[in-house]
Amino acid sequence: MATLKVEHIYKNFGGVKAIQDFSIEANPGQIHGIIGPNGAGKTTIFNVISGIYPADEGSVYLDGKDVTRMEQHRITLEGMGRTFQNIRLFKGLSVLDNVMCAFDPQSKYGVPGSLLPLGKRFAEEKRGRDICMNFLKMVGLEDYAKERPENMSYGHQRRLEIARALTCRPKVLLLDEPAAGLNPVEVGELTELIQRLSKDIGFVILLIEHRLELVMNISQFIHVQNFGKTIAVGTPAQVRSNPEVIEAYLGKEGG
Amino acid sequence: MALYTHILTQILITVVSVAGVFVLTGMTGMFSLGQAAFMAIGAYTSGILVTKLSVPIFLAWPAGVILAVAVGFIVGLPTVRLRRDYISLVTLGFGEAITALLNRATALTGGASGLTGIPKETTLTIALLSAVVVIILITFFKASKYGRQCIAVRSDELAAKAMGINVPKVKMIAFLISVAVTAYGGCLYAFYTAYVDPTLFGWKKSAEWVIMVFFGGVNSLTGSILSTFVLSGLPEVLRFLQNYRAIIYAVLVLLVINFKPSGLLGEWELTPANLKRIIKRAGQAKQPKEVR
Repeated sequence: MATLKVEHIYKNFGGVKAIQDFSIEANPGQIHGIIGPNGAGKTTIFNVISGIYPADEGSVYLDGKDVTRMEQHRITLEGMGRTFQNIRLFKGLSVLDNVMCAFDPQSKYGVPGSLLPLGKRFAEEKRGRDICMNFLKMVGLEDYAKERPENMSYGHQRRLEIARALTCRPKVLLLDEPAAGLNPVEVGELTELIQRLSKDIGFVILLIEHRLELVMNISQFIHVQNFGKTIAVGTPAQVRSNPEVIEAYLGKEGG
Repeated sequence: MALYTHILTQILITVVSVAGVFVLTGMTGMFSLGQAAFMAIGAYTSGILVTKLSVPIFLAWPAGVILAVAVGFIVGLPTVRLRRDYISLVTLGFGEAITALLNRATALTGGASGLTGIPKETTLTIALLSAVVVIILITFFKASKYGRQCIAVRSDELAAKAMGINVPKVKMIAFLISVAVTAYGGCLYAFYTAYVDPTLFGWKKSAEWVIMVFFGGVNSLTGSILSTFVLSGLPEVLRFLQNYRAIIYAVLVLLVINFKPSGLLGEWELTPANLKRIIKRAGQAKQPKEVR
């Protein structure tokens, strides 16, 4: 059974057909790249899969469980982690607390323990801090735990988003343009990070990215979107040589 | 001396209510314009139970708080799923409805002429103890998992949901804690002034509390308490300015919004670590030459 199975999803916004018949099947350890020009509906695919909007038609299965019509936070708890194209960190919270927020729904103490130093509060807070520091270390931000995210560089903020998504314990990680706005050195480090995570944690990664060298390097499968439709699916090599893709996206001299 | 005791007691009772509003508005970013109505529920319930049914105070006060929380749950149920700004509208309507109800139910509440004969039980000590306990509880809450989630919800609701945070639940918890604390403030108030009438609990009162939280600092409990002392203390001390209270408020708020949009203290809290830093800095300032 595939970890992530998306079957024929459709999504319209008024007259705009943002997604038309998108399907994907992904297994642990795989990295799937989704590419396509601006407005091709890539982020909408992520938003439908992660439950921000319901799909008009079609289904999303996570480990065989139908999560299509679930509330957004339930889908996350079922094992869907994501980052955002326009960084959406929590202002007013430190770097560590940003990550802790993703742990808190798993934390096992209630309202009484929140108001008073009672019961499992301290044990659970410590467990959370250890887990979160571990994820911060994984993305190389352990020295910034007490900083405010808004004071960090763009590259670090992107990494923090990844650490926060990892804390959700995802079976499927959705990365929405993680390399946008990064310099070439940072892109190199990010590529290495994504590959390491994929290998160490062994979850499914779906990656939306404009930088073709990054996507082509690390993805085993590429889905090419154009005007809401999937125009090609395959390995990077197959996609590269597909004439329709070359015309729609890579340009005449590509391939 | 009696005047200062009186002023201080009133301020401390306001501190209790504002601490409740801080959880809702400061931490979670929800604006309630009907918060004073929950104070009214606390005040009237405990007052009526004691004066009309001779229920002992130690049962009447919790009853006031519990009823307010129950009503708050019903009001909150439809609102926590809506966009945040709608909560102001719903609570405004609810608050005004409660005042109207208190005015109409003359047999029970005394109507517009108010509920009289409440025993005067709240002393400065009780008010001070209550304020300290409430502040401690809310300090713990702010550092807890729900406190963090409240701040996350205020900052970015969509991202909060994407991290698995049950946004309606977190909003409801913040709302009910705020309601409970404010209702308790109502009990303190009724048993201090020995008299309550519906005009005390209109939307202006709620708006005043929101202003106090914003004035002090959106994410600072310390700031909210400080601004409660400043904003409700000043007009009391400067009695001759009483008529200009609204103008002073407006000017102060405009100044703060203009020059420091995050409030006087912003996110700064009086923690032991921050206190140590201040003392250290003050010590260094006093003897600048002695540093090696």
